[in-house]
Amino acid sequence: MPIKIIGIDVGGTHADGVLLEGSSIISKAKIVVNHDNLSETVIDLLSRLLKGSSASEVDRVHLSSTLCTNAIACGQLDPVGMLVQAGPGMNPDFLKCGDYLRFLDGAIDHRGSIIKEPSMELVYSALNEFLNAGIESVGIVCKFSHRNPDIELMLSEKAEAMGFRHISCGSSISGLPNFPRRVYTTWINAALKNRFQAFSRAVVDGALKLGITAPLSVLKADGGTMSLDTAMRLPCESIHSGPSASVMGALALSSPGDEYAVIDIGGTTTDIGIFVSDQPLMEPYGVTVMGRPTLIRALATKSVGLGGNSRVTAEDDCYCIGPDNLGIPAAFCSGKIKGATLSDALVVEGFMEGNLERAEEALKLLHPDRDPRDVAEELVMSFAASVGAAMDEMIEEAYTRPVYTVSDFLGRRRLNPAKIIAVGGPSKALQERLSDVFGLPCIVPPDFEVANAIGSARTRPTLTATLYANSGDGTLSIPETGLHMEIVRSFSMQDAEEKLTEAIGLLAEESGITGQYEIDFIEREEMNTVRGFSSTGKVIALKAQVRPGLNQAGPNRQEV
Amino acid sequence: MISEQYMPRAQRKTGIILFPAFDWCITPSHPEREERLLYTRDQLLEEGLSDVENIEFFNPELAEYKDIERVHLCAFPPQELMSESHLISSGGAILAAKKVMDKEVERAFAIVRPPGHHAMQTVFGDRGFCIVNIEAIMVEYIRRHYGVRKIAIVDTDCHHGDGTQDIFYNDPDTLFISLHQDGRTLYPGSGFQDELGGPSAQGYNINIPLPPETGEEGFDMVTERVILPILDEFHPEIIINSAGQDNHYTDPITNMNFTAQGYAQLNKAINPHICVLEGGYSIEGALPYTNLGIILAMAGLDTSHVKEPDYDPSDFVQSSDMNEYIEKICTNALKVFSSRKNWQNVPHGKVVEERRSIYYDTINIGVEQLRRYHLCPDCPGYTEVEAVSGGDGLTGFSVPFNACPRCSQLAGDSFEAASKNKLNKRIILQDRSEDVFEVA
Repeated sequence: MPIKIIGIDVGGTHADGVLLEGSSIISKAKIVVNHDNLSETVIDLLSRLLKGSSASEVDRVHLSSTLCTNAIACGQLDPVGMLVQAGPGMNPDFLKCGDYLRFLDGAIDHRGSIIKEPSMELVYSALNEFLNAGIESVGIVCKFSHRNPDIELMLSEKAEAMGFRHISCGSSISGLPNFPRRVYTTWINAALKNRFQAFSRAVVDGALKLGITAPLSVLKADGGTMSLDTAMRLPCESIHSGPSASVMGALALSSPGDEYAVIDIGGTTTDIGIFVSDQPLMEPYGVTVMGRPTLIRALATKSVGLGGNSRVTAEDDCYCIGPDNLGIPAAFCSGKIKGATLSDALVVEGFMEGNLERAEEALKLLHPDRDPRDVAEELVMSFAASVGAAMDEMIEEAYTRPVYTVSDFLGRRRLNPAKIIAVGGPSKALQERLSDVFGLPCIVPPDFEVANAIGSARTRPTLTATLYANSGDGTLSIPETGLHMEIVRSFSMQDAEEKLTEAIGLLAEESGITGQYEIDFIEREEMNTVRGFSSTGKVIALKAQVRPGLNQAGPNRQEV
Repeated sequence: MISEQYMPRAQRKTGIILFPAFDWCITPSHPEREERLLYTRDQLLEEGLSDVENIEFFNPELAEYKDIERVHLCAFPPQELMSESHLISSGGAILAAKKVMDKEVERAFAIVRPPGHHAMQTVFGDRGFCIVNIEAIMVEYIRRHYGVRKIAIVDTDCHHGDGTQDIFYNDPDTLFISLHQDGRTLYPGSGFQDELGGPSAQGYNINIPLPPETGEEGFDMVTERVILPILDEFHPEIIINSAGQDNHYTDPITNMNFTAQGYAQLNKAINPHICVLEGGYSIEGALPYTNLGIILAMAGLDTSHVKEPDYDPSDFVQSSDMNEYIEKICTNALKVFSSRKNWQNVPHGKVVEERRSIYYDTINIGVEQLRRYHLCPDCPGYTEVEAVSGGDGLTGFSVPFNACPRCSQLAGDSFEAASKNKLNKRIILQDRSEDVFEVA
């Protein structure tokens, strides 16, 4: 029997939900979001979706939550005591993360060797200062802690012993390099923990009252989910899950080919994602949050500030669309016409239903003497061309990502999407024009208006872990599980794969992955180390993932 | 968008072409091996430089064979002599130049390998870890495509830049300054102060052979007393730093006492438009820090925190004897530069001969070479080269970019004549003034 999953997508204004059995929709619901009590919104939506179904039959609940995104937007971050060991390199004074950033002395080098432990006097004086300021959350980051998490873990123990409630270590959040991103990510994570944990507890309690015993998962920005337990430890991973829901939703609703682009056209912005062999293109490091670069793993999406409600102005021989949102387009409202939008043009072209007269009047504001039908056509083409240019930029960015070997350099290939999948309000109306401009088939899947909720429901758990081993030094580290151990000189890539598989197993357990999962080994580096003309061992770097994908690919997918 | 508030902003827009060629080595235990730039790459990524406003990383491009043939006279077809990795490192240097010349960036640093500064005009194979001279290829690319004339190259590798010296020896539009460990104590055993330049470019080749264990103090003295005043007077359109990093105190194959701070300060003072990595084989203790120091200096960012984990300036105090010795070297270098003269007033048709033996240490062969400088009162004149090693050999006619039409014509005629009477396996015409390259 196909499993029953509830998918919930909480947006800025509305929250959508679906109850799926396999890939067929049993019920849909939409309610207005109460940002002051988000858990209540979630519970309300759950109870509406369950009307007529038995709560105990639900196998899973997936939630795409704006809690963290919203807390950030409203500046509701908890103060965090940050302990940071910057070591030699760039002057770290540029780091700005709250009022309690304290630098420690000592250093770890690029291989993960501890050059000097931090002075404990400094550590205790900082921690005491945090306690006296009433701070509950501590963030701990060292440069190169992804190569050796020991100092961070030691400091974490000290902080725990002093009674801090929430402690976040940089190395356990991501195994990627990039110290400033590690600092910012850790800070954001620590600043959200309290709030997110309160929310999680409220949702769990509410769901239990409705009779839902199914495990709860939270959507991440990387096109996957994590268990609520993991999310309570890593709330930062729930930031920016919106584009991830829409991209995965589009994937769930269509039967795509090998290489394709997903375009989500909203009122204000249009998001573009690209898939290669059914794998979404990922950001090299992570998303930017509050202007700060992070290691929050995410799908590579390009967001352009133009959508159905964007204000259009006419320039000499072209149109400027967005980034302002004009509100409801003339064709769909009454009262004074404030300006022209893409939606008005789509109504004039006959691709969308609306008040034709008002839409024409809006377009006349751009070119009073011209036939609005011509203006509409140009405007729609101009919109499609802007989206096309953004996609080209994205392809160029992917092509110019750094390569470090001759064979990778010579093997570079430019992405070449063969199909477009469009979702979002105006997508049906734009289908033909997008197809013309891109010179590619454009698919608009059914139920595209609840694509996000479906994406949330159908998304599978994802995991990543990284291993760095130096058999010359005899050390290995897998920061995501806090592992730092000794290894033998003969340690091989095969041993590395086994170790990383074990680590993924541990993380999978925490993440509530029960069934079978497939591990991809991505990004491997293996190099002999030589000192004084004789071989001393190997440096092995390996990254593994449980890749983003869909569960329960249904038989009744259709194309329109 | 990353906000400027939360990441540093470089004063000067700086491009970095980082290509560590992790799958290329001379031999697995050679200093020029796969892991050479591993720790540098790791340090640069960990610093988050790619997120710094105004610092941009680029992949290299592939150089074309014609870019190489514009500079080198090869004893074998270049396709047989070199691998793709050489086209990539040359292409990396060229890309650095293009980014600067096209004003996409103000400064660029090609952190690429294999290096190039021991590759001479004639090439029979790998010499001092180099087959093609990536700076020289870049310099002639700049001249051909951007019309730049006066270029200064400051070679701060610990080994004498004998290849670069050889290629530009008779070119008074290229000022070559090499700071290195005294050739009596280190490969390649050249780089003395009487190597002044060819007959048309006397005084444009400045060697500064420093005693072993020279540290920050000695390099500072050379920079202030020699390099900066000479650069000022030569007034180049472009300054290039051959940024070898083996003067470092931890380098395993040299004996100097220079530091990451020292490299950063030196770079700040010279203020080169383009840096190209050369040697540097302390791959863990030096390169991550020296490369970072150079990048931050180029970009105009704070370098004060760039220090080796075991750095202590009191370890590197120089004796007064050493300071006096370096003072003398500086005085000599200034004398060389002030005695400079170019081609003017030489009688037309005069030929100056120069014979030498060139040893290829990496592949262990010797080459006997005779070079004839055909002087001209209107330009540096063309050069004729005969080079032989065992059964292999070449005769080359090289016309500089700044040659007069008459010399270009004469070299062409000589090439035709030599092609008929083929004494060597390869007869080559390399006319940079016309961008012509022919092999008979």
